[in-house]
Amino acid sequence: MKNKVLMGLAAIAMVAVLSSCGKKPQAEIDAANAAIEAAKTAESAVYVPAEFAAVQDSLNAVMADITAQESKLFKKFGPCKEKLTGIVTLANQVAANAATKKEEVKAEVTTLLTDIKTVTEENAKLIPKLPRGKEGAAVIEQIKADVATVDAAVVEAQGLFDKGTYMDSLNKIKAAKEKADGLNAEVKEVLTKARIKF
Amino acid sequence: MRIKKVWKRIIVIALILMLIPVLIILLERITPKPPESEVEYARLVLSQAASSNAATYSRKLYSEARALYDSAMFHWQKENRRFILLRNYEKVASFAELSARKAEQAAKVSRNNATDLNLRIRQKIDTLNNLVNQINNIFTAYPLSPEIWSRISKGKMLLKESEVAYKKGQFVQANKKITDSEVLLTDSFEKATSHLKQYFNSFRIWKGWVDKAIKESRQNQSYTIIIDKYSRKCLVYFGGVKKYEYNVELGKNWVGDKRVRGDKATPEGMYRIIKKFGNNKTKYHKALLIDYPNEADKEEFRQAIKKGTLPRSAKIGNLIEIHGDGGRGVDWTEGCIALTNSEIDAVFKIANEGTPVTIVGSTVTLDQILD
Repeated sequence: MKNKVLMGLAAIAMVAVLSSCGKKPQAEIDAANAAIEAAKTAESAVYVPAEFAAVQDSLNAVMADITAQESKLFKKFGPCKEKLTGIVTLANQVAANAATKKEEVKAEVTTLLTDIKTVTEENAKLIPKLPRGKEGAAVIEQIKADVATVDAAVVEAQGLFDKGTYMDSLNKIKAAKEKADGLNAEVKEVLTKARIKF
Repeated sequence: MRIKKVWKRIIVIALILMLIPVLIILLERITPKPPESEVEYARLVLSQAASSNAATYSRKLYSEARALYDSAMFHWQKENRRFILLRNYEKVASFAELSARKAEQAAKVSRNNATDLNLRIRQKIDTLNNLVNQINNIFTAYPLSPEIWSRISKGKMLLKESEVAYKKGQFVQANKKITDSEVLLTDSFEKATSHLKQYFNSFRIWKGWVDKAIKESRQNQSYTIIIDKYSRKCLVYFGGVKKYEYNVELGKNWVGDKRVRGDKATPEGMYRIIKKFGNNKTKYHKALLIDYPNEADKEEFRQAIKKGTLPRSAKIGNLIEIHGDGGRGVDWTEGCIALTNSEIDAVFKIANEGTPVTIVGSTVTLDQILD
């Protein structure tokens, strides 16, 4: 009878040994996923895409490690836990970098929006000074069309800015600024040629 | 008896303890092994594909590779939940291999597509910038409709936006902008060119006038003045040979023949100088009055009234001159031809009453202009 009890205990011990020594680090996995989600919400994919892709890849690698450990007789999740903690830190850093970059882009757009307003205001003052007789002429039509296009682009860029899509707004306002500067130079050239003070 | 039993127990325990590692080693040997290296390789290749922007430039292949990797991981986890000896990782390995293969293809296709797109956009940017230059050269002084100018302007802005995106390596956005720009610019260019072509329908007549004027200049060894409205040139010939060339400024609505008084158009035809106005006789420094309207112009005007293309109250224009006060860089006259004061001085010296003045839309063909 006692022998049977001993055999039973030994079998239980064996099953216990074989079943598992470690537990899947679910809390750490959840924390890492949450940190990556937060980085995503911080638009890391837009402002720091390479960093964001790297942290996502790191999580994929750890998840593969965890799955590999789950396949083993003796599971060892210690290194995975450490890596997951590292991913949380990294993801937080990526989110912070994205926020910094976003602020930089926002500041750049703000500056460009202010600059372009100065140029368009100057253009608005200069255009009426264009030589008499220009009214109705081909050149004034082009200038009018360009002014309208720049104004529309500024409105569009401001709209994108207000929506918080600073990167799209930046592309638009940069192009508009170049155009407005070109227009300004063109008008000044005509005025200089026509010997009109401005 | 008791000692015997104790020894028996010790032996049983020892045997069990010895059996455990043996069983573990045996289990380790016979347990199916998961395809760790295959999955790891698939993940690495996927990561490389992502770095090659495969999600953007080879979206379908990359999505397939991603889905296959997810399937590999799903099946691996599924097998992990089964009894250790009953696990089968074949599907996992197969999905991982397929994923790696697709990811490799995706990376390759992505690199090729990105290179192609980069090249294509660069070429399109160059082509459209050339088109913009062509539009500027051909149509800057040409009175196109505000709608056409608006479309050209929008096209130019989209071209700029495309260049901004291209410089940042955002080829997909750049491509979208350049495609929209191309539509606007090429369409506007075609419309503008078609307008210009209509104007150049009179080229054969203009050429006939110019040839006749040069021939007479050669035969009579005399001066003749030719005004090329499109290129804004005043060409002075003597003995059939071009001697001088000056820039001119015209009436605001210079395209087409003058039809009625006040239309601010510069007439087209073969005229002669009928009066010279020196200093103090004109407000434009010096002036050479031509015989517009001549008989042909008067007949054309009468026909227009008769056909009703001009109102009965319309009056034919007059007082068309070649005069000074030009050099403003724009078309500003009421239909006259303006030169700078120093240039009118030069022309004034050689021109006399009776000197022919031929005014044409162009002295060169439209093809030459478009080239």
